[in-house]
Amino acid sequence: MAISKIPSAGFQDNVKFRNIIINGDMSIAQRGTSEASVGNSFTYFTVDRFKLGGSGSSGARFTMSQDTDVPTGQGFAKSLKMDCTTADGSLGASDSIQIVQRIEGQNLQYLKKGTSNAESLTLSFWVKSNKTGTYIAELRDTDNNRTISKAYTIDSASTWEKKTLTFEGDTTGAFDNDNNASLRLIHWLYAGTDYTSGTLQTSWGTLTATDRAVGQVNLADSTDNDWYITGVQLEAGTTASDFEFLPYDVNLRRCYRYYWGWWDKADAASNGAIGGMAVNYSSSIVYISGHFPVEMRTTPSLDQGSGTAFYRFLRASATDFLDDFELSTNNGRTNERGYELFNNSDISGTAGHGGWIRCNNASAFVNFDAEL
Amino acid sequence: MINTITKVYDPISNEFCSYRITYTNSNNIRCVPLDEANKDYQAIQEWIADGGTVIDNPPEETP
Repeated sequence: MAISKIPSAGFQDNVKFRNIIINGDMSIAQRGTSEASVGNSFTYFTVDRFKLGGSGSSGARFTMSQDTDVPTGQGFAKSLKMDCTTADGSLGASDSIQIVQRIEGQNLQYLKKGTSNAESLTLSFWVKSNKTGTYIAELRDTDNNRTISKAYTIDSASTWEKKTLTFEGDTTGAFDNDNNASLRLIHWLYAGTDYTSGTLQTSWGTLTATDRAVGQVNLADSTDNDWYITGVQLEAGTTASDFEFLPYDVNLRRCYRYYWGWWDKADAASNGAIGGMAVNYSSSIVYISGHFPVEMRTTPSLDQGSGTAFYRFLRASATDFLDDFELSTNNGRTNERGYELFNNSDISGTAGHGGWIRCNNASAFVNFDAEL
Repeated sequence: MINTITKVYDPISNEFCSYRITYTNSNNIRCVPLDEANKDYQAIQEWIADGGTVIDNPPEETP
């Protein structure tokens, strides 16, 4: 085919995986779609890869959820919503919460940070809130304790707005080339004076706490307040390209690197989801092993519901009921590629019997967590 | 909030193989690998450094 026959659109956005942010369209939420009464903690609750961060002792609470309110005609189906359910109109100095994504250093080497050729970064996203005013987006280099913040304004209440912020390249401090967190994208939602009493640090420099979120509105000052975000894209260069939509399965597998919901509570509610093959090593020990769908970032933790007879082991026309599992990680028995679990407290079987594991309680779940 | 952290030993080799975390007011538990890049492992080391005590009941050696 002659080159002239290729539609011009074929050359647009031709740098694939240019979005440094994973799950920027908020389409994946393996842990659940809503979590009530979240506050100043460092925990992943709903939408994959977006962590709630915070500090201090404010009593402000939010419901954090994956929502279907999205900007019209932009191709998005989901957003992340923070809905204030307990207000705090007088924040303490150390109080803050943020929505954070942490990024592996080995995915950032092409930015050439710490050299004279350091790339600029452009952040774009859609945001909506009834609480108008100034908000802060920050990039934090945790390898070198450096940071840069930019302010944006929500101009119109309860209206989706697209924001674009460009951060200059940083010629100081290279990112470590490993699987640990090197860069954080931080969206501030409220901040006490420990983070606001200085001058906003709009150029890269050593982290000074009081310069990080100067001007940030208090999203927690009324239970009427909510804040939505979607279409988060961080890319090299000084201009924002169209959001890079990925196929659902590609996006999901990128999230699996950090968190794999093996059995979620919806599976357990069906009271029969298969978990894996198992075998009686001895009369009192059962082992379960398998492979992860993708190589995880590091050896994951095993996160699970635990309770009387939450799981069952079916074998040779018999059933053993198990409360939970242990994780075997010595000698690489569980690693980035696969897992080995065991139970040696609830089993009374026959050595050599094979079988399989099922959930047996609606509150049972088994997940693997290698998040940053 | 963390309630207890217990060392877990492999039932075949008797080797220390993971940590088990229980939480206050929760039926959820978390089993943590012996991997320095794991964030829960890092948190346990900080917890120990801050004075937390890990429950350790190693299996008895067979003569």
